[in-house]
Amino acid sequence: MSVLRPFRASDMFKFNNVNLDIWTETYNIGFYLHYLSRWPDLCCVQEAPSGRMMGYVIGKAEGQGLEWHGHVTAITVAPEYRRLSLARKMMGLLDLVSEQIYQGFFVDLYVRCNNQIAIDMYEGLGYSVYRRVKEYYGSLGIGKGGRDEEDAFDMRKPLSRDTAKRSIRANGRDMIVTAHDVS
Amino acid sequence: MSSALDRQIRPIYDALDTGSNKSAIVACNKVLKKHPKNNLVKALKALALVRSQKVEESLVLCDEVLLSKPTDDPTLNAMLHVLRGLGRHNDMVTMFEEAYKQQPGNEDLGVQAFFANVRAGHWKSAQQIATKMHKQFQEDRYLYWNVISAVLQANDPTTPPNMRQLLYKLAHRLLAAASSSPLGNTDRFYLHLTILKELSLLDDAAALLDTEVGQLICAANLSCNELRRDIMHLRGLSKEEGERAEGLITGKGDRNWLEFVSLLDGTFSHLQGSNENAKEECAKHIVHTQEVLDKIVENDGKKDRSGLLALVELETRARKHDLSTDTDRLINLMQQYFETFGDKSCCFEDLKPYTLLQGDERESWSSFLENVASDVSSVNNLQRVINSYKLLRYSLEPSEITLEAEEDRAVLYMQQYFKALPLGNALPTTELQPADDLAILAGAVTVNMWKVSGDQQYLCRAAIILEYALSQSKQSFQMRLMLVRIYRLLGAPSLALEHYRSMRIKQIQNDTLSHFLFSRTSAFSLGSTGDLTLSTECIEASQVYLTNSQETSDFVIRAFTAEKYSQIPEFIAFEDRLDNSLQRDMTKMEHLRMRIAHEVISSDIIDMELIELKFIFDRQHHDNRDFDILPNYQPHSIDSLNKQTLLFDKADGKGWLWTFLKMYIRIFMMASDLDDTIEEKLLVGDRPKLSPDPEKQRPLKERLADRKDEELEELTPEEYALVQYADALAEWLEPFHDYARPPPAVVLAEAAKLTEQKTGLPLKGVEIPPHNGNSNGHKKDEDTPPLTEPPEMVLKFFDAMKLRFNEVKTSGDFSQILHTATIIQEAFLLLATVSLRFKSTSVVKIHKLGGLVAKLKPIRSDASSVLKDISTELAAISASETTAENRAAIAAVKLGCSEIDDDFATQITKKLTDSRKNVLEGVGKGAGRLCGTYAQ
Repeated sequence: MSVLRPFRASDMFKFNNVNLDIWTETYNIGFYLHYLSRWPDLCCVQEAPSGRMMGYVIGKAEGQGLEWHGHVTAITVAPEYRRLSLARKMMGLLDLVSEQIYQGFFVDLYVRCNNQIAIDMYEGLGYSVYRRVKEYYGSLGIGKGGRDEEDAFDMRKPLSRDTAKRSIRANGRDMIVTAHDVS
Repeated sequence: MSSALDRQIRPIYDALDTGSNKSAIVACNKVLKKHPKNNLVKALKALALVRSQKVEESLVLCDEVLLSKPTDDPTLNAMLHVLRGLGRHNDMVTMFEEAYKQQPGNEDLGVQAFFANVRAGHWKSAQQIATKMHKQFQEDRYLYWNVISAVLQANDPTTPPNMRQLLYKLAHRLLAAASSSPLGNTDRFYLHLTILKELSLLDDAAALLDTEVGQLICAANLSCNELRRDIMHLRGLSKEEGERAEGLITGKGDRNWLEFVSLLDGTFSHLQGSNENAKEECAKHIVHTQEVLDKIVENDGKKDRSGLLALVELETRARKHDLSTDTDRLINLMQQYFETFGDKSCCFEDLKPYTLLQGDERESWSSFLENVASDVSSVNNLQRVINSYKLLRYSLEPSEITLEAEEDRAVLYMQQYFKALPLGNALPTTELQPADDLAILAGAVTVNMWKVSGDQQYLCRAAIILEYALSQSKQSFQMRLMLVRIYRLLGAPSLALEHYRSMRIKQIQNDTLSHFLFSRTSAFSLGSTGDLTLSTECIEASQVYLTNSQETSDFVIRAFTAEKYSQIPEFIAFEDRLDNSLQRDMTKMEHLRMRIAHEVISSDIIDMELIELKFIFDRQHHDNRDFDILPNYQPHSIDSLNKQTLLFDKADGKGWLWTFLKMYIRIFMMASDLDDTIEEKLLVGDRPKLSPDPEKQRPLKERLADRKDEELEELTPEEYALVQYADALAEWLEPFHDYARPPPAVVLAEAAKLTEQKTGLPLKGVEIPPHNGNSNGHKKDEDTPPLTEPPEMVLKFFDAMKLRFNEVKTSGDFSQILHTATIIQEAFLLLATVSLRFKSTSVVKIHKLGGLVAKLKPIRSDASSVLKDISTELAAISASETTAENRAAIAAVKLGCSEIDDDFATQITKKLTDSRKNVLEGVGKGAGRLCGTYAQ
C-alpha cells in the first residue's frame, strides 16, 4: 500500500532515505530536471501514507522508427520498503505510459548481469534479455563478480505495437555489443 | 563575416571551450588590433575576462557592446554568457528586447527576448512579448506561453493578492483564443484545468474531464489525475469519487493508496448531508465498504497491505464518528495486521498512527506485542521481534521510562542483536544486516539514558555499540547519522566528520543534510590555527547553490520549449527554495565566524562580507533541512532522537540565523566605510528582487535593532550573552564611527583610483570631486561626539564568561567547554573589528578620539588576558584527555553486553580521546595566536 504520484522537482529535498542507500546514485540537479522537463509522465514516486518517500522511477522515451520505446533510467526503493512489490507497480505505470501516451514498441532497461534478484523480477514482469552490453558499468571495476559485475543486460518487454515481437530474442544473452554501440 | 576573420575567430572559441581564458584574451587582442570595432570579438574577450575573474575590465567591454545594440546571433550568444557571469539579468533582458525590436520579423530573437525575461522572472514583460509573437507568428504555443506567464505572475510573491484573480481571469480569456483543442496535448490540458480550478469554474473543468480523451489522459497521467481528484473534491463529489475508486480497486486491481483514501472519504461523505438519517446512511455504507475491503484482504493475502490497512483506518474513522459497532474490532484488526505484515520492516510505521490507545485496549495491545515470540532464528521472525519492540517502545508512558527500565531494554536489544547477527553472515558487505535495527534501538535507548541521567558515559556506550554494529554493517547510514550527532555531543568533531564523509553526501543533499555537520560548527573549528578543513567543507557544500542559480533556469527554458507547463511552476519554486535556503545562509554564517578567526580582519573582508550579509538579510528563507532522516524510535511521550541530540540542546534555525545576521551586519556596518550609495555604485550584478514582506521594507537600522523573543529563544546562554555584549558595544561606539567615517565621495574616489590602476579606465558613473581642504583628511564641521563610559555589559562580559568557563571546564562536557571558549574568542574578535578604525593614529588625531582609544585599550587587554587564560586551560584539559587513566575510565564503560570485547571498546575510546585532544589543543592554540594578533 502506497501512494503513487508524479515525481516533482521538490522531491529532491526529500529523497534522502532512498538515496543514501549505496546502490542509489544522487545525480546533479540537472539530471532530474532534464527528465522532468521532457518526460514528466515517465517519472513517479511511491510514498507512504505518512509522506515518507518509498521509492521512485525515472524514465524516458527514445529511439528512431521501430526502435521507438520507453526506457527505465533509474528505479529504486528505500531499504526499509523492499519486498513490497513497489518496483513492480512503478514498472507497471511505465509500461502503461509507454504504451498509451508514447505508443512505443517496447520498454527496456539495463541491469548488472550479476544482479540475479532484479533479473528474476524483470523476467517475472515480462522482460527478457535482448543483448549483453560490455563494460556498461565502469565505476566499480571488476570485483568479485568479474565481468558479470560490469556488463549489463539490456532487457526488453514488447508492447502491443510490437506485433512482430522484435524485442524478444531467444539468444539475447549471446548477443554482445559494446557500451559505445548503445549510447 | 569574411572568411579570413572567421578563421581568426575560431581559435578564440577553441580556447574558451577548453577553459584557456588567457590564450583566448591574447587571441582577442590580436584580432582587435586589426578590427577594433568588432563586437563579437569584444564580447568574447569580455567572456574570457569574466571567466578569469577580471570583472572590472570585462565590464568596460561589456558596456561597449551593449551600447551598440547587437542583433547578430554569435554576439548575442557570447553576451548571454558574459551577462550571466556578471549576474546582470536585467541587462540581458534589455539586450534581447532591443534586438527583437530592431528585427521584429526574427522569430528566434523573439524567443530569446522571451526567455531572457523568464530568466529574470519578469513575467509581465514576458507576457507582452508572447502576445506580440502570437500575433505575428500565429502559433498556439506562444499563446500558451502568454497564459503560463500570467499564471506565474499571479503566483509571484511580489504580486498583490487582489491582482491574482485578475491575472487568472486574463489567462482564462486568452485560452479561449487558442485554435486547437486543449485535449490534444497533456500539458496544455493540465494548464487549462489549473486555471479553471483556480477560478472555481468547476463545471467547465468537469466538462473537459468528462470527455473521452480527458478520461484517457487522467488514466495515464498522474499529474492530471491529481488535479482531477482535487476538482472532484471541490465539486463536493466525494461520494461519486468514492464509487469510482471502488470500481478501480475491485475491477482494475488498482492498489494506489489514494484510491483507498477516496473510498473512505466517500464512505463518510454521507455524514455531511443535513439529512436526519445521515448517520444511519453512513453506517450502511461503512458496512458496505467493510465488505468490499474484506474481499480485497482475502484475495490479496500477504501480497498487498492496502486492504487491511484501509480496514484499520475505516474502523478508526468510524470510532471518531461514534459509528463503531464492535469495541474489539480495532485491536483485532491491528493484531491481524501485525500477524500478516509483521515481517515487513514498514509494519511499525504503518501501525504507528493507530497505537496510542487508552486503558484496557492499551493493556491488551501491549500484552499482544509482549507475547510475540522472541525467537530471532529467521529473518522473518527477527523482523517481527523488531517491530514488536519498536511498537512497544513507541507507546511507553513517562513512568515507564526510568533509567533502570531503559537499562533492561538496552540489555535485551543487544542480546537479541547478537543472537540475530549470524542471520546476515552470508551477505556481501554492500548489504545491510537484518539485525541492524536492534543495535539502532539499543543506541537510541542509551542516548535516552544519557538524557535521563545527564551522565556522558551513556553517550560513550551508544557510540561503542553503534560503532560495533557499523563494523558489521558498513552501509548503515542511519548508524552513521546517529554517530555524527553523538560525536559532536562528545566533543569529537573529527570523528563526526569522518562518518559524515563516509556517507558520500553530494549535490542537493548538501542542502538537506549538511546541517548534521555545519550546525554551530564554528565551535569545533581550528581555523584560528590555519586548519581550513571545516571552512573548505562549507565552501564545497555551497557549490550546489551556484549550480542552481546558473543551471536551473536553463531547465525552466527547456520546459517552455517542450511545453511542459505542469513542470514550470515546480521548477521555479524549486529554484527559489534552493536559492533562498536557510541552510545555505546558516552555512555561510558559520563560514564567516570561522573566517574571521582564520584571516586577519581587514576592511576588505568587512566590506565584502557586509554586502553579502545585507543581501541575505533581505531573503525570505525556506527550511529544507531533513531531520526525519535520523531514525526515531523514542517513545511518543518524550523528545525525538533528533531533538535529544541537538548540539548544546538548542535547535538553531531562522531565529538563530537572524540574530547572528543582525549582530554581524551591525558590527560590520560600524567598521566599514561603505554606505548604500557607494554600494550601489560598486555593485556589479543585479540586486536581488525586493521582498514584498513589509517587515523587510522597514529601515535597515530599525530592523537591525529589533530583538524578538522567539528569535532569541534559539540561542544558547553563551550566544545570548554575546549578542547582548555586541549590542552594547555597538550602542556605545556607533557615534564615534559615524563621526570618523570618511564621506562617501572620498570613499568612492578611492575606489575609482584603485579601479583605474587596475584597468586603466575610470570607474563608470563615479565623478571624483575636486580636491579641496574639506575632503583632505575628512575633517568634519561638527565636534567629536562627547566621550561616554563603556557600558557595563561590555566591561563585565569577559570576566563573566571566564566564570562560566570555569564552571564548565570540569564538567566533562567537552562540546560545552569548546562552545564557551569559542564564544569568548568571537567576542574578542568583534572587539578587534570595531577597534580597527581607531588604529590609525591620523584618524584618531584628526577626529580627536584619543579619549575613546584610552577607554578601549583596557577593555581589549582585559579580553586578551581572559582569552589567553582560556588558551592555557584548554591546553591543560587537552593534555589530561589522553592519559592512560582517562582512557581506561572511558573504555571501562558498562556496555550491557559481553560480546563486544575490551579491545574494540579501547580502540573506539582511543579515537575519541585523540579527537578531543586535538580539537581542545587546536582551539586553545588558536585562541592564543589571536591574542597575539589583536591584543594591541
